[in-house]
Amino acid sequence: MQVKTFKGGTHPPEKKELAKDVPIEYHLSPKQVVIHLNQHTGAPNQALVKVGDTVTRGQKIASSDGKLMIPHHASICGVVKKIEPRPQANLQDGVAIVIESDGRTEEAFLPPLDPFACTKAEAIERIKEAGIVGMGGAGFPTWMKLSPPPTKPIDVVIANGAECEPYLTIDYRTLKEQASVVVYGLGVCLQILGVKRGIIAIEDNKIDLLPTLEKAVVDFLKGPGSGKEFDIQVSVLKTKYPQGGEKMLITALTGREVPSGGLPMDVGTVVQNVGTLKAIAEAFLQGKPLIDRGFTATGSACKTPKNLVVPIGTVLSDLIPNVIQIEEDLRRVIFGGPMMGVSVPTLDTPIQKNTSGVVFMNSKEALVYEEGNCIRCGRCIQACSCRLSPALLNEAILANDWDLADKLGLLDCIECGTCSYVCPAHVYLVQRFRVGKLTLRAVKAAKTKKGGN
Amino acid sequence: MAEKPRLLLSSSPSIYSGMNVQRLMLYVIIALLPTSFYGVYLYGLPALTTLLVSVGSCVFFEVTFRKLTKAKQNYKDLSAIVTGILLALVLPPSTPWWMTVLGALAAIVVAKEFFGGLGYNPFNPALIGRAVLLMSFPAALTTWHKPFQAIADATTTATPLNILKLGGTLGDVAQSLGVSQPADVYLSLFLGNRAGCIGESSILLILLGGIFLLATGTIKILTPLSMILTAFIFSLILGMDPLFQILSGGLVFGAVFMATDYVSTPLTPKGKILFGVGAGIITMLIRKFGGFPEGTSYGILIMNAFTPYLNTLVTKKYGYISGRNNS
Repeated sequence: MQVKTFKGGTHPPEKKELAKDVPIEYHLSPKQVVIHLNQHTGAPNQALVKVGDTVTRGQKIASSDGKLMIPHHASICGVVKKIEPRPQANLQDGVAIVIESDGRTEEAFLPPLDPFACTKAEAIERIKEAGIVGMGGAGFPTWMKLSPPPTKPIDVVIANGAECEPYLTIDYRTLKEQASVVVYGLGVCLQILGVKRGIIAIEDNKIDLLPTLEKAVVDFLKGPGSGKEFDIQVSVLKTKYPQGGEKMLITALTGREVPSGGLPMDVGTVVQNVGTLKAIAEAFLQGKPLIDRGFTATGSACKTPKNLVVPIGTVLSDLIPNVIQIEEDLRRVIFGGPMMGVSVPTLDTPIQKNTSGVVFMNSKEALVYEEGNCIRCGRCIQACSCRLSPALLNEAILANDWDLADKLGLLDCIECGTCSYVCPAHVYLVQRFRVGKLTLRAVKAAKTKKGGN
Repeated sequence: MAEKPRLLLSSSPSIYSGMNVQRLMLYVIIALLPTSFYGVYLYGLPALTTLLVSVGSCVFFEVTFRKLTKAKQNYKDLSAIVTGILLALVLPPSTPWWMTVLGALAAIVVAKEFFGGLGYNPFNPALIGRAVLLMSFPAALTTWHKPFQAIADATTTATPLNILKLGGTLGDVAQSLGVSQPADVYLSLFLGNRAGCIGESSILLILLGGIFLLATGTIKILTPLSMILTAFIFSLILGMDPLFQILSGGLVFGAVFMATDYVSTPLTPKGKILFGVGAGIITMLIRKFGGFPEGTSYGILIMNAFTPYLNTLVTKKYGYISGRNNS
């Protein structure tokens, strides 16, 4: 089989062996959940409940009327105790609804809906009402991705099972244990977009999934997806970071490049993470909103590396030590993977819709380096997944030369972290680019304003 | 929470490849060892003295300069040692020790520290050291000795390039190298039994070091390959014997160890290739038309000046494939 990939990238130690073979555990009755109003890209939400209200699992508790509307739902039955700022994985400590469990096990789900019989508008409304966002990390509203304007015809939907971040294994376990649900979710996307071609993409370190996935595809095409002429293939990609990046994935599979500043839909593609597809399937099959999610708890300071499914809003510290045991020598806690994840200051941070993993690092593994001089070795240029020149961008930013930084493609940086990972001088590349992007956008906005007057 | 103050909070990524500057410099030092040992084997104590004095003064000057200017000490990155070895290897074995010290002063203080230290020097420090000495003491820097003869009393000789520059033939070179057939000249040059700078003579051992650097990912093959290929083609155009031109002088040493210096050469693949092409052409122009028989060091130094421009020749960025994508 042909193994596809993209240009650039790097090979961090995978460390997936820690949790790869641990079946997903379900811990659905935490004593409390902390559900942030904003855990997605888009319009800010308002709370629909007040302190003292009793809520049921599946009930809508936060929403907005903005264009990028994404509601959030109670993930357990209980009583709203507080609505106040709480630590959040984006370090912004937004307002959250704190629900204390009352022990009930009721569910207030939507009625099941047949995606292959309902209208397109009904299907999109269902995904919107279910509060589904991209679960790979970015948290972009899924219904938006499935509603491209007519000027952007889509011809392929990609199920992203690359899971290129080291340590994380939840997508692998989901595909292994629930391939049929994921394939069903992919089928729903094909149906909504009116597309025939679907690709399930995995890295070749998960090649053992191939028979499982192929069987799930055959079963789906014979079962719920019959008569639709769907063409779903499983594609194996080279194991390389950041293979699971949307742009890299599209280029590896189709040879197309997402234009600068554009979206996958600009090149006729829609990419959905495995977890998102599972959530889509469940929204139709069970009428279940996005209220649970899987994640990998792992790392050098984690004594019990495992894959878990918990209600969204479950606070990490509530899982310790009954579900997750961590070492005394805990030095870093990362929400997400070690390449792109955010280090959080406290274990009181809740799992949210885009938390794909939590990595606990001990002091041996959690390293910080003093920044050195760039020695101009060019390793970053070779490794950049977007074929940018990080060393030169770094110079431009240090010199406050925003025109040059713009020309060198600062805004095209996807912040995958590959350049910082390979840099022998430990120049703070990604960090500087992240801040630099904000500054450059501000500089550009100021310029446009001036030009307009 | 007790662990609150103990948790590290820094920007992603939270893992690193483990590669660092010190290790890269160590790789370069290891790659330089075969040809350094061979130089000492050819010329004995004077070569060893030059090496030790050069490395010692480079480290001394860096530490002292940084102390005087109250800058952070960087000697642990080993770059001063690399400069010291490189400088010694491009000097004749009979260079007086005090000249070597002056060369190290020019290399470390003038060419590197004045610009801000490692990472900021526009020109290759070791080559600046050599260039300063060659301008200041042209006689001493072009005095050559035959291998395996005590330098103190031995008569001087000419390098193969000298012989050709002065109108000699391949036969004359064969005679000087002590081989019977002109055809054996190439083998002799490849193995390195000839007069020249301490480290430049054995192409075999230089290539061995180059292969080590390539295998460890320390350097890219682009610059050395384009420089040597260009020199080959250009010497053909100029009516010179290309194989002889490549195997003699410091071309291969320069291509492998000097044109691949990180700081003073381009970062981008296109820039690297053009750097090699330029250095190859300039080297051959100097050899053919210049006053010196050898031009590698100036070829590389002149191209160093082009590096900032060559760095603007960046690879096509992702997402800019067709014209419609240009923003």
